[in-house]
Amino acid sequence: MPDPLTLSFFQRALLAAALTGGLCSVIGVFVVLRGLAFIGAGTAHAAFAGVTLAYLVGLPPMSLAIAFGLATVWITGLLEERGRMKLDVSIGIFYTATMALAILFIGLMKSYNAEMYGYLFGSILSVTGEELLFMSLLAVLVVGLVMLFSKEFFFIAFDQEMAEASGVPARRLFFLLLTLVALTIVVSLKTVGAILVFALLLLPASTAYQLTSSLRGMVGYSVTLGILVSCVGVLLSFRFDIPTGPAIVLLATGLFFLAVAFSPKRARRVAPA
Amino acid sequence: MEHIHPHHGDHYHGKPLIRFDHFTFRYLHGPALEDITLEIADGEFIGVIGPNGSGKTTLLRAILGLIPPSQGSLKIFDCACQELQCYHRARIGYLPQKDTVDPDFPITVEETVMMGRAGAIGLFRWPGKADREIVRHALEDVGMAEFCARPLGALSGGQQQRVLIARALAQHPQILLLDEPTTGIDAPTQHNILDLIQHLHRDLHLTVILVSHDIHMIAPLADRLALLKTRLYAIGPAKEVLRKEILAQVYGPEAVTTDAGHVLITDHHH
Repeated sequence: MPDPLTLSFFQRALLAAALTGGLCSVIGVFVVLRGLAFIGAGTAHAAFAGVTLAYLVGLPPMSLAIAFGLATVWITGLLEERGRMKLDVSIGIFYTATMALAILFIGLMKSYNAEMYGYLFGSILSVTGEELLFMSLLAVLVVGLVMLFSKEFFFIAFDQEMAEASGVPARRLFFLLLTLVALTIVVSLKTVGAILVFALLLLPASTAYQLTSSLRGMVGYSVTLGILVSCVGVLLSFRFDIPTGPAIVLLATGLFFLAVAFSPKRARRVAPA
Repeated sequence: MEHIHPHHGDHYHGKPLIRFDHFTFRYLHGPALEDITLEIADGEFIGVIGPNGSGKTTLLRAILGLIPPSQGSLKIFDCACQELQCYHRARIGYLPQKDTVDPDFPITVEETVMMGRAGAIGLFRWPGKADREIVRHALEDVGMAEFCARPLGALSGGQQQRVLIARALAQHPQILLLDEPTTGIDAPTQHNILDLIQHLHRDLHLTVILVSHDIHMIAPLADRLALLKTRLYAIGPAKEVLRKEILAQVYGPEAVTTDAGHVLITDHHH
């Protein structure tokens, strides 16, 4: 067997995994702390509906994935803010409606399109050079904005109303955060797929949440774990010829349960004060 | 209890800082605050009392600029403050009700207090040496300096309240809004928190607006009490507001006639 690292498609896959893992785990910290997990799930499926429509009408898949993703986060964000509808209800409706659209668009297609299913289940080993470039640009944009607004995003996650009251433009920044969540999901569609991107958004950050009691610590742990599980997942998938998405997600899930079992937070609670 | 009585005579009350003028705020189902007219002067200590759901927290949220008037107006520092980023907002420190803070949130004491600087630092900038100095000072003011690296969730309820008060102080506020600051805290700690609030009011010359359902606790501290139940039923010194006939309008006649607390409060004032 040739050394896999000399294969350029393998290098691309590894790079794509590191990008996706790092990106999802950075934004995942805010998703977990601000309680946006369900929005992530809904957005991933909406983005997939965008991909199917793009294939149906012959547009670049990413363009409609972004459009559908952004529409979903903005509308659900507005609904949450207005408090007109419980978030789990509105997301639940979006989730099923966009899935129905995706199935409808697929049904309208004349032929079976294997490439399209890559966006549902992830197909990191087929990532092209252009896709990698696109992912890198989006990743730089998202991480850059997160770093730029990190103190505000943390404040919003801690207590949005308090942030607003302290003179932080919390509302606008909340929508920026939602936008970044949507972009992150779209970037990750190709790598881990619409079904599993949600897990990559949640798991490294939730694992980090178990391990630390500081904001900096949580970001550090989350990013490290996110990159680690994604790259190791690709290696395992290649070595044992198993699908990449599940390999990454199951690895991350295993680490999550380990962290829960050995969480210092739990230890602190059990120990006498 | 004499020593904690407010010194009405020697306490300097400056110009009005907060002016409610026929302020009404409606939710979809009806008014939460109705026709409130109230002036609060610089340096005053106002206690807001009233039954559950009487609009006490809504009153604080109005002062914070989080809810716009449905009718009437509210001016703070002579500004209507409708602007999202009105700089006055940073001059109002706020201690929300305790259950709004997630004790498991991964954050250190120092990181918590630094959030109080976010408005003043502004966008696109990071906390500097001066901000860290202000945070240290705020923690010293509440007696929590040695806890700065500890996780917020590892502290007791009273210590968490002190840290959140420090966060409000880190804004360098002129007005301090406190929503039920002693609820859910054991009695000795309650006393410490109240002493701290009084110290901040006197020594930092903060205008304090304290919301509480506990009339006994608040009456000896406040210069004036505001009795609220959607409308403002009474405003004035405790001995004028805490009358049976006034309280009965808000709490119902039975609640007041059988209310030992009312008698107790009048005892304090005789």
